[in-house]
Amino acid sequence: MSASLAPECSPAKEKYDNCFIKWYSDKFLKGDSTTDDCKPLFDEYRKCLQIALKEKGLDKMLDEARRNAEERELRKEQGKH
Amino acid sequence: MVKFFDNVFSYEYPFSAVTLAYYLRYPNPYSTHVLSADTLSRDFDPVNQTLTTTRLLLKRGKLPSSVTRFLPKIKESYILEKSVVDLKKMEMRTETRNLEWEGVLSVVESQTYTPLPAPIAHGTANDDPLRNGTGLADDHTSVRTVVRFESRLGGVQKAEGIASRVASWGTGGVQRGIEAAAYQRMKENVQRSKEGLKIVLHGLREKGVIAT
Repeated sequence: MSASLAPECSPAKEKYDNCFIKWYSDKFLKGDSTTDDCKPLFDEYRKCLQIALKEKGLDKMLDEARRNAEERELRKEQGKH
Repeated sequence: MVKFFDNVFSYEYPFSAVTLAYYLRYPNPYSTHVLSADTLSRDFDPVNQTLTTTRLLLKRGKLPSSVTRFLPKIKESYILEKSVVDLKKMEMRTETRNLEWEGVLSVVESQTYTPLPAPIAHGTANDDPLRNGTGLADDHTSVRTVVRFESRLGGVQKAEGIASRVASWGTGGVQRGIEAAAYQRMKENVQRSKEGLKIVLHGLREKGVIAT
């Protein structure tokens, strides 16, 4: 699996990635899943990542990307009427 | 948006395997420019059997030259990757776009992955739930890749410069209106991505993660 942009989050990321690969192939792809079994591990990894994103000032870039995406969706919806 | 590139190819692997490989495609020998890939969100909808993922990729200076001639020297760029796997529709849609300078010019690559039924030589019983029962084996996966440029019209001089240049490309003969080198570069990038994914698929098969 790939590296994280934040090396300190690599252990948490690896744990989550390994869980995801297993859940995705053994459960999700077979239509056998009702929950995301890896959510707790993802939350741990995400906690670490959020701190790193903020430190690097990337949270602002992502917020802007989110706003742009919402704008695009809105324009698409409006275009339908 | 101006469509820059539109291409269809296929993998000789089932849809389920290709979608798994997509999430595992980094690192691969063709992706040395991808420095990191982090998952920002993952949402599973059990009712509709869909999985929506967003990831943040960090790539070493990989904007096409037709973009970088307008922008300052860029050493690294962040890419936002969104993907939706829909098991009911048997379809995966992906969208990757640059994050910085999006206000000036955005390059968006959209892909649609679907099973491509291939006729089987002799009937073999198979309990893979993703195979239909009509005698056709969904052994292959088709991928359509579309790359689009969009420039934002605004008060920024740079944006206007690019917008008028983009507008001058027109909808037909886009290849004429832009540098042939930029188009070639885009084609090569898509080809490299495809080869990289093939290597990952092969590796998964070797490890027994996906069926032969």
